Amino acid sequence: MSRSICCLFVLMIVAGWSMPATLLAADTVCIECHGGQEGRLGAPVAQWRTSVHAANGISCNDCHGGDPTDYAMAMSPERGFIGVPKYTEVPDFCGRCHVGVAEDYKAGAHGQAIERGGAQCVVCHGNHEIQRASLDLINEKDCSRCHSYERAALIRMSLVETDTMINKVGHDIDRLYRLGFSVDDMQDRLFNQRNVFHRTFHGVNVDEVRQKTAGVQGELGKINMEVAAIDSTLGERKLWGSVTIALFILTGVVFLLVRKAYEEDEKG
Amino acid sequence: MTTQVPPKQRRNFLFIMLGGLGALLAAAAGWPLFRFLSPIAATGGSQVAIPRSEVVSGKAHFFDYHGKPAVVLQPAAGKFIALSAICTHLGCVVAWKEQDNEFECPCHGGRFSPEGQVLGGPPPKPLESIAVVLDGDQLKIG
Amino acid sequence: MQPVKWLVEFVDVRLGLKDIYDHELRGYLLPRNVNVWYTLGAVLMALFTLQIITGILLLMFYVPDSEKAFASIQYIMNDVPFGWLFRMLHAIGANVIMIALLMHMLSVLFMASYKGRREFTWLTGFIILNLTMGLCLTGYLLPWSQLSFWATTVATDAAGAIPLVGGYLVEFLRGAPTVGNQTLGRFFALHVVGMPLVLLGLMGAHLFCVKRRGISNPPFGPDYRAAEELPFFEHEKHPNGIPFFPNYFVKDAAVICFFMAFMLAIIFYAPGMFFPESAFQKADPFLTPQHIKPEWYFLWAYQALKIFPSEIIGLGVQVVFMTFLALLPFIDRGVERRPAKRPLFVTCYVLGILLFVAISIWGHYS
Repeated sequence: MSRSICCLFVLMIVAGWSMPATLLAADTVCIECHGGQEGRLGAPVAQWRTSVHAANGISCNDCHGGDPTDYAMAMSPERGFIGVPKYTEVPDFCGRCHVGVAEDYKAGAHGQAIERGGAQCVVCHGNHEIQRASLDLINEKDCSRCHSYERAALIRMSLVETDTMINKVGHDIDRLYRLGFSVDDMQDRLFNQRNVFHRTFHGVNVDEVRQKTAGVQGELGKINMEVAAIDSTLGERKLWGSVTIALFILTGVVFLLVRKAYEEDEKG
Repeated sequence: MTTQVPPKQRRNFLFIMLGGLGALLAAAAGWPLFRFLSPIAATGGSQVAIPRSEVVSGKAHFFDYHGKPAVVLQPAAGKFIALSAICTHLGCVVAWKEQDNEFECPCHGGRFSPEGQVLGGPPPKPLESIAVVLDGDQLKIG
Repeated sequence: MQPVKWLVEFVDVRLGLKDIYDHELRGYLLPRNVNVWYTLGAVLMALFTLQIITGILLLMFYVPDSEKAFASIQYIMNDVPFGWLFRMLHAIGANVIMIALLMHMLSVLFMASYKGRREFTWLTGFIILNLTMGLCLTGYLLPWSQLSFWATTVATDAAGAIPLVGGYLVEFLRGAPTVGNQTLGRFFALHVVGMPLVLLGLMGAHLFCVKRRGISNPPFGPDYRAAEELPFFEHEKHPNGIPFFPNYFVKDAAVICFFMAFMLAIIFYAPGMFFPESAFQKADPFLTPQHIKPEWYFLWAYQALKIFPSEIIGLGVQVVFMTFLALLPFIDRGVERRPAKRPLFVTCYVLGILLFVAISIWGHYS
């Protein structure tokens, strides 16, 4: 029960507005202890601090389990401590929260090849210094570590358009949010589409990607129309606002002209 | 700005301009004010849906129908009636008297049948009837 | 015009309005060289009136409960026709009032209008300034956003620096140990009724002082003479002056129009100017956003508290400064009002403004 709440919580935040939440996350005993250690036991702390997980209040215990408030039980299996996952256990480790991605990954070429050293989450995303996912994760240097880059390049091409669209819609919604518009519904839908988009890629199948991204773009198109409608309302408001501003300035000037006319009388 | 037009005449012209501009500004302020204060039209479909289970045989279920009180009842199994609950006499909300199987208005004692017909008292007309249709386990009213 | 003339006669015969018109409007003479800074009083009255009107309109939809406040504001901004307009007028209006208030105070300081037996005018004006800041502070909490919540937490925390009673004072201000529904309730009552009533009273007193003593003349020009300090009350007259109505009134009206244009320009072209991101997030008592700052007119106080090693010193410095300003007419007793002949004052004045701006900018970036 608490796991699915945790997943939901994580998924909700991945979508959008990164709320700096280091006040909560940094208070765990994990950070307090490991933060003062050297070498491989201490390194993850600094790495994690730069991560998108840290920025969203997700700390050590959210992935590794254990009790973040109690030194004695911090690493106790009784409190759910998992420790470091083995290479092949990583997809399930991350998949506790990133459910859809794990599903598609396991069904795809990388997931099927994991026993033979196929790429898993950490290979591309890192483990503690994870940043918000972007298309740059698919690049020649990283993807040609195991095989030729052609296939990866093909998939990347099929993703670019949708990725750009998602980013643009995200910016537009953010812009409207900053103007006081109620954008919760659009944000949720964008978040959903972004999820579909991200998870689909992990099956590393070009045809599947093309098919699903068509659907995603369709939905994004609907959001775009709503954004356009709001923008048109904004344009209308600006127009009438400008007219009123001009009226006020004109009225002010006329008042000044009246004043001038009185001044002439005052002198004479 | 020296002109040949004497100040008084200039002023009068400017006052006329001010009058016009003032009227425009008043409209610019008045229209948003009027719209702000006007009641907001109820959004959503004109039909109101009520789960069938809420309308027990013998009892009347009162609900909000587009901002006004209404009532739906099941006088016989499977037969549903929806009425406006506003008494046609002077606008009070009628109460359902289960014992007597009729509506009674607490203000001046007007009585209505389950079908809304006037049984006695001052009301001049029957309770306004509203269309009701059973759709699966939902009653669609309106 | 017959019906109008008849109506005017009807009222005048009963209330003597024509008399009032002749004395207070047409017959109220201002010095000939009165400058544009003298319009700021009328501008402020117009802006405050706008705040009251927009405030009442917002009251029709706002709910002062911590669970519902934020949603009610969203409702006003999104679902009430032109709700966004009245909300923005109110919020931006508050900022423009602060600008106009500071300009008004600065011009009074520069022209030493607080001299010449006008200490009460200055005092009432100073209290109005503080009351306006209080109105801004209490109003700020009402939307119950992250910004509202945490800015109020920081602002009320400052009282904790007072020795002995500090802790209790903070709780007293908040109505509870932490900012919550209790705080919202009392801030709402103060903002909507308490402070406005006091403000109206003070404005009345302020205007009474101005009219009773008589408007001062600008200390400029070759004809300027310092007023004699006679040992009895004297109403300063300007027999050679220009009538307030309609001659100077139209200047008041013009500047009011320009201020309205300025305010609308902000609303339509830079609406985000006074709204950081945290203003759009619902208050979360467990999550402090990273860059919480007070509004620009409080940055000086915020930074002053941070500069000094101990909070009580920081607070003390502010109190001393404000007290000095409040008692200025009792400290600066010289009769001279011309800026050119008050080099010490003008130096302090310019340095003061620079310091205020510098500390505020520092506060913004720190």
